[in-house]
Amino acid sequence: MSQKIIKTDILCIGAGIAGLMAGIRASEKGAKTVIVEKGHALHSGRGRGGNDHFWCYIPEVHGKDLDAFLRESLKIPKLRAMQSGTAQNVLRTFLERSFEIVELWDKWGIPMKYHGRWEFAGHSFPGDILTHLKYEGRDQKKVLIRKALDSGAEIINRVMVFDLITDDEGVIGAIGISTRENLFVIFESKAIIVGTGCLDRLYPAPTPAWMGSIPGNLTLTGDGRAMAYRAGAYIVSPEMPKRHFGPRYFSRFGQATWIGVLRDPQGRPIGPYVTAPNRLYGDMTPEVKSVFLEELFKSGNGPIYMDCRGISEEDYDYMMHWMWHEGNAPLLDYMKEERIDIRKHPIEFQTYHMISEGKIWINERGETSIKGLYSAGDESMGGISCAATYGWISGENAADYSRGVTLKSIDEKGPEIEEKKATIKEIINRKEGPDWKEVNIALQQLMQDYAGPIRSESLLMAGLEYLYRMRKKVDNSIIARNQWELTRCLETINLMDLGELVFRGALARKETRGLHRRTDYPLTDPTMDGKEVFIRRGDEGKPIIEIKKI
Amino acid sequence: MPPVIDKDKCRRCGICAEYCAEDVFFGSEKGQIPVVAYPEFCAHCSCCVYACPEKAIRLRIPLPLQLLYKDPDFKL
Repeated sequence: MSQKIIKTDILCIGAGIAGLMAGIRASEKGAKTVIVEKGHALHSGRGRGGNDHFWCYIPEVHGKDLDAFLRESLKIPKLRAMQSGTAQNVLRTFLERSFEIVELWDKWGIPMKYHGRWEFAGHSFPGDILTHLKYEGRDQKKVLIRKALDSGAEIINRVMVFDLITDDEGVIGAIGISTRENLFVIFESKAIIVGTGCLDRLYPAPTPAWMGSIPGNLTLTGDGRAMAYRAGAYIVSPEMPKRHFGPRYFSRFGQATWIGVLRDPQGRPIGPYVTAPNRLYGDMTPEVKSVFLEELFKSGNGPIYMDCRGISEEDYDYMMHWMWHEGNAPLLDYMKEERIDIRKHPIEFQTYHMISEGKIWINERGETSIKGLYSAGDESMGGISCAATYGWISGENAADYSRGVTLKSIDEKGPEIEEKKATIKEIINRKEGPDWKEVNIALQQLMQDYAGPIRSESLLMAGLEYLYRMRKKVDNSIIARNQWELTRCLETINLMDLGELVFRGALARKETRGLHRRTDYPLTDPTMDGKEVFIRRGDEGKPIIEIKKI
Repeated sequence: MPPVIDKDKCRRCGICAEYCAEDVFFGSEKGQIPVVAYPEFCAHCSCCVYACPEKAIRLRIPLPLQLLYKDPDFKL
C-alpha cells in the first residue's frame, strides 16, 4: 500500500454536523483546515437525511433565566440520558451559544423559522416550556458543506482515520486508510477535532438478522472515542445505555415528529400525557421510559400503536412537512407505495436496540484531556444542536490554539506508524479467517447477553472473559477481501475496544441508574449523583478506572 | 434488495456511487452501470434515489424491515 502525507493546522475527523461546523469556524479564524470523512460528507452522520428539532435557548422565547431553562429541559428523562457524561458547565455554555448557531444557520440557508416565527414543538410535556425549535433541516448537510468549502476548508471523502499520533505533549497527527484504494493517509496536524458520532453497531439491531435496520447509521462505530481512548483520553461512563423508539422493524428516528397517541390494543393511551393528537406536544410516555414499549409487549400487553387517527387535515400536513425535513423520506415513500395512511392505520411502535452513551470527556472549550485534541458532536454531547454548537466552539478554540503551536513532524513516530501499518497489511493479506461481519455479530451477541439490559457482576465478569478470549483470536485472524471490508474491520476493532469499556464501566458502576440495571445492585445510589465513571488507558494498555465528579 | 437500478434509465453518471455514505456501490467502475456490491449494508436512506438525475433508482425495502400497522378493515 502506498502512502500520502497531508499537513494542516486543524484536522476535523468526521464530516457530520460537528465536523463541518468545526471546520467552518476554524477556517473562518484563519486556520488551514482539513475535514476528513470515511463515507461521503453529503450523507454521513446522524444528520444525513435531515432533522426538525433543535434544542436551544432563545431568551426572547424562554425568558432570561438560562439555568431555569436548563433545569426544565433536563426534566425530560430521554434528554437527560443523552447528556449523561456531559458536565453542567458544558451544557450551560452550549445553551448560551445555541441561539447564535440558530441565527447563523438561518442566515446560511437552513430555514430555522416557520412562517416567519420561532416555532417550538415536541419533546416537551403538555403545559411545560417547549424546548425544541422546529426547523427545516432536510438540506442541512448540503448547506454546511457549501459553507465549509466557501470558508476555505478542504473536505476529503473516503478516508477513514483509525488512530491518533501523539508525542509527550499532545496530539500531533493521525493515520488513516483510503476506503477505496490501497493507500495509507498520514496527517500532520497542530490540533485535531474528533466528531465521529454515535456507537450504533455495538448491540444487535432491533431486527438482529438484518443489521441495517437501526435508527442510526451502520458506519457510526465510535471511531473517535476508540482512538481517543487508545491515545489516553478520558472516556466518561461508557456503560450508560440509551434506547430510542419508533416504528417497529422500519427503524427510524423522529418519534417526536409524530402527532398521535400511543395506545394499547384496546385503544387505551399507554401514558398520561395526551389523549388525542396534539400538534405541540407529542406523546412523551416513551421519553419518560423508553423500554416501556418493550415491557408492555413482552408481558403480553402489546402491540403498542402510534395512533394518529382523528388528526385534523391541517395538523396532518404539518406533520408530513416535518417528517420530510426530519429525514424520513424513505419511510414516507414506503408508506405511499404500500398505501399505508396514518390517518387510518395505527403504526406499531417498539423500543429499539441498546446504544452505549459513553462520551469523550470535554471541558467547556471542547478540549479533551489530551493537549491539542478536541471533540464535538454525539461522542461528547448528545444531539444535533449540541453537535452544531460545540462543533463551532471547538473549531474556534482549536484555531486559536493552533496559532501558538508549531507543526510537528511525525518522523520520530515512524516505528509506531509502521507497526500500525503492518497490522493493517496483515488483515488484508490473510486468506482465511472471520470477516468483519462474523466478528461483529459475535461481539453483538456477547454485548447483548452479558452487558445487555440485565447486568450483574457474574454476567459481566464472564462476558469480559469471553470478550478477551475472542479478541485475542480476532486480532490474529480477522480478514478483509478489499478496502471496503478493511474499513469495516477497523470499525469492528473499534467496537471491540469500546465493548470492553462498556464491561469495565458496568462493573465499576455498582448501582442501577437509568437503563444500566444491575440485579446485584438494584438501587440507585444517591452518592453517585453528579459523579461519573472515568476510564483511560494506562501506560501498559490496561484501563484505569476512577469514579469522580464530572 | 435495495437499491434497485433501472438499467434502461441509468445514464451511468455514477452520482449514486459517489454519494452513498455506506459505499454499497463499492467497486463500481466509472462510466458503467453501478453495481450494488453490499446490499445488506444499505441504510435505506434513499440518498441515491433522490440524487439520481434520471430517477432510475428505487429502494426495495426488505421484508424484515416491513412496517407493521393495524388495518381496521382487515378481516381474517
